[in-house]
Amino acid sequence: MAIVELKDVSRVYRNGEHEQRALDHVNLSLEEGKFIVVLGPSGAGKSTLLNLLGGLDSPTEGTVTVNGRDISTLTPNELAEYRAASVGFVFQSYNLIPTLTVIENVALVKEIAPNPLSSHDMLKAVGLADHIHQFPSELSGGEQQRVSIARALAKNPHILLCDEPTGALDSQTGVMVLGLLLSMARDMGKTIIIVTHNQNIAKMADTVIRVKNGRIEYCRNQEHPLSVEEVDW
Amino acid sequence: MLLKKLFRTLWQYKAQFISMIIMVALGVGVFLGFNVEWYSLEVNTKEIYDATGFADYRVYSDKGFSETELEAVKAIQGVEDATRFLSLNVSVKDDTDTLALTVSENMNVSGILLMAGEEYDETDTEGFWLSDSYAAANGIGLGDSMTLTYQTISVSGTVKGLVKSSEYLICLPDSNQMMPDYSSYGFVYISPAMLDQAIPSLYRKLMGSLYHQINVKSDLDKAAFVEQADKALGSTRLILSKAETVSWAEAQGEVNEGKTMASILPVLFLAIAILTMVTTMHRITASEKTQIGTFKALGFKDRRILVHYSAYALIIGLIGTALGIGVGYWLGWYIMNPYGAMATYIDMPSWSLHAPRFTWYVLAGINVFLTLIGFLSVRRMLAGTAADALRPYTPKRMRHLRFEETKRFKALGFGTKWNLRDCVRHKARSLMTLFGIVGCMVLLVGGMGMKDTMDSFLDVFYGQAINYATRVNHDSENASLEEGKALAERLKGDWAASRAIQIGDKGYALEIYSVTHDKVRFVDTDMRIVPLTDEGAYVCARIARDFGLTPGDTLTFSPYDSDEHYTVPVAGVLDSMTEGIFMTEAYAARIGVSYTVSCVFTDETDIPEDAHILNRQSKQSIMDSFDTFMDLMNKMVLLLVLAAVVLGIVVLYNLGVMSYTERYREMATLKVVGFKDSKIGRLLISQNLWLTVIGILIGLPAGVGVLQYLLTALASEYELKLTLGAPTYLVSVLLTFGVSLIVGLMVARKNRRIDMVAALKTEE
Repeated sequence: MAIVELKDVSRVYRNGEHEQRALDHVNLSLEEGKFIVVLGPSGAGKSTLLNLLGGLDSPTEGTVTVNGRDISTLTPNELAEYRAASVGFVFQSYNLIPTLTVIENVALVKEIAPNPLSSHDMLKAVGLADHIHQFPSELSGGEQQRVSIARALAKNPHILLCDEPTGALDSQTGVMVLGLLLSMARDMGKTIIIVTHNQNIAKMADTVIRVKNGRIEYCRNQEHPLSVEEVDW
Repeated sequence: MLLKKLFRTLWQYKAQFISMIIMVALGVGVFLGFNVEWYSLEVNTKEIYDATGFADYRVYSDKGFSETELEAVKAIQGVEDATRFLSLNVSVKDDTDTLALTVSENMNVSGILLMAGEEYDETDTEGFWLSDSYAAANGIGLGDSMTLTYQTISVSGTVKGLVKSSEYLICLPDSNQMMPDYSSYGFVYISPAMLDQAIPSLYRKLMGSLYHQINVKSDLDKAAFVEQADKALGSTRLILSKAETVSWAEAQGEVNEGKTMASILPVLFLAIAILTMVTTMHRITASEKTQIGTFKALGFKDRRILVHYSAYALIIGLIGTALGIGVGYWLGWYIMNPYGAMATYIDMPSWSLHAPRFTWYVLAGINVFLTLIGFLSVRRMLAGTAADALRPYTPKRMRHLRFEETKRFKALGFGTKWNLRDCVRHKARSLMTLFGIVGCMVLLVGGMGMKDTMDSFLDVFYGQAINYATRVNHDSENASLEEGKALAERLKGDWAASRAIQIGDKGYALEIYSVTHDKVRFVDTDMRIVPLTDEGAYVCARIARDFGLTPGDTLTFSPYDSDEHYTVPVAGVLDSMTEGIFMTEAYAARIGVSYTVSCVFTDETDIPEDAHILNRQSKQSIMDSFDTFMDLMNKMVLLLVLAAVVLGIVVLYNLGVMSYTERYREMATLKVVGFKDSKIGRLLISQNLWLTVIGILIGLPAGVGVLQYLLTALASEYELKLTLGAPTYLVSVLLTFGVSLIVGLMVARKNRRIDMVAALKTEE
């Protein structure tokens, strides 16, 4: 069953007379519970695609349907509700709140999410049960990224959107984080969408999408994706 | 190229730069304004004192002074010049106005300054040199005829000159009046020749000399002069130094009041301006750190980078100072200009504005200091290698606070924790916000409290203590005690007698009261109406303070023109307009002080003619004179309230924007996670509101403290009791809250424009 559907979606940025078409009439359908990797060079439109799916931005044309709901025409407040209930974000630079401890950073989603999961459980799932009272600045990069994954999962979202989640990590930590994300798809049935430059990550994906010049170059399902351990990092 | 960057950076941080410029301008403006006010007053009053030969000493005698006595005084070593002088309240014919008819034999002492008309001529027998302010208030012009009457004597002539005189710099008919009222009271000079012609020779023979005063210019100190004068004149006389005259003491009082104001308010504003500069410059250089590092990496020498960034502080300082000088002179002019309330009070010819020299040194010092702040902020960012400088500024690491271990803290919502930790993490910013709110409160409570205090003072003194409709001034020199009492009886009024006395070596008034009709009342230091008992003398609060007197102590005084000394118990301390001691007639009679009636207080408004009535004053005319006084007070309060609001808005907005910028990324994160704009806005505002509550809790007592300090500083002029009305508390709190809320909303509105994507892409 398709959890995400993009129909004829374009996103145009205007800067005075200059017009930049970040996405150009994109059509896409993605299935629930899959590990999806979006590849493409810089400026291809990967992040724009992710922003539209996450409700951080709205398309100039076309419709974006997530879980049967058209999010392309939502108001800023409705988009906030959508982000609170349906999607989790993981960024390259973690974006944790420096003045909140690990557990507080995760628990803060309880303020907004309609069906939050236990913060403790999520931190346990990402292997940080022993660090819950530390501040982000007291953790390593990989640990911080895991906190951000725990925070994203604590909202109990349908989809987890990850923008270069391993970009700031060393390869060993990156592999661990990817393994964690993969298990979220396999064990918890979450739809994971990862935007990356790293071709290797695509080997783990159920679906690989390549974006080029604002268009989908291809969208390919892989019957036998590799496990983290099988990929040659 | 760096110059281009300088201007572009100024534009980029325009909100911060503008608010710093406003703060510097406000600080400099308030500092300069109050100093310009008192110093201009000092310079301009000195000008008229010098121009009209303001006397240093006034020697009084009931019997008048002969020419021989004048020569004896002139012969004292250290006496520069002297004159026989007469000042007598006379009535204007066909009018209820009173004029102080003045004659100075030697116009080099206690003379006049001609504003229009003919030069003064000592041989002229029909010319009046009239107060120009009285003339203006009554539509009298040069060449107009006037007739003045005193008892049965009248003097007629034409107005030949319009003048000012330092002897009447503050032209009050008596100490009960706070403000001059030129529509009903002024002064007029005539020549000795005209005086001779006007007074019948028989009268002169009976009365002896008409000159009851010798005014003296001398550099001697009071003790030396009194000793020499007593020796020269052969007996003890009432001698008042210029410091004991209204025209000197009140004007100097204004100068001192200005100095007091200049020592409190500017400190508050300048301190806030400097602290704003410290926090803002640190923030700006911190956010420019990578650029600073880039310059260093490119090969720019540290000195050049330091000069570049210090220039921002210097530019802010210079623009702020330039604007502040404008604000300062405007403020000085606003308080002290020839069209305002001050001009109604002090009758000066010149209202030019002057700044004391030290203010320019202080302004230069402020600019050096501000530049130094900029310099130190950049130096911190430049520390280490070019690679160190290239790294973005990292705020202090978060540490657990002690109170975080408490259950109560753990139970707090995330927003509260977020805000609490943010306050602790950015202590300087939080403290500055507090400082701004406390400053705002202090100004509001101080300004409005001053008005409350004055209102309550006027209400008690003039609303309750003055319970008569008319005050009739009686000729205490020529009428007997019985005649005075008979007049009081006829008018169904109370009466008072006034004598000049000496306590130690200072001159005061002794007022003796007979109160049987409840027409005059007395006010204690708690502003309560109290009756006078026959148990002793009551002293005013100033005498009680100066001599350390409390009820039960004893006090020794001596009337002038008498060798008698009286030691009396202090029965109580009163708040009074007059600096003196008070007693009942019964007590005065018991101790044997002699007196005659000097005024009668009555409800009658239609006072029959009587040879011994000098003039009449209605309560309304006394009350009217306060309108100008209160007008001045209201203007000051308005200024302070405006200053408070501007201070509050500028400081809070600047810090609000700073806080917003620093938390931009965190707010973008919250937004991405799914927080609504309104919720993020509430989080931002709630931090502001907490600080506002704390600021108000500190600011209220601080405001009361500053007000008390002001009142203590002004205690030599007024006996004021600090009074704060509920509306003052309410308005101060609501206005401060209002300012905080409005600024909070202004800043919170910005979060709608947060670009989530861009914010989260940037490196931390």
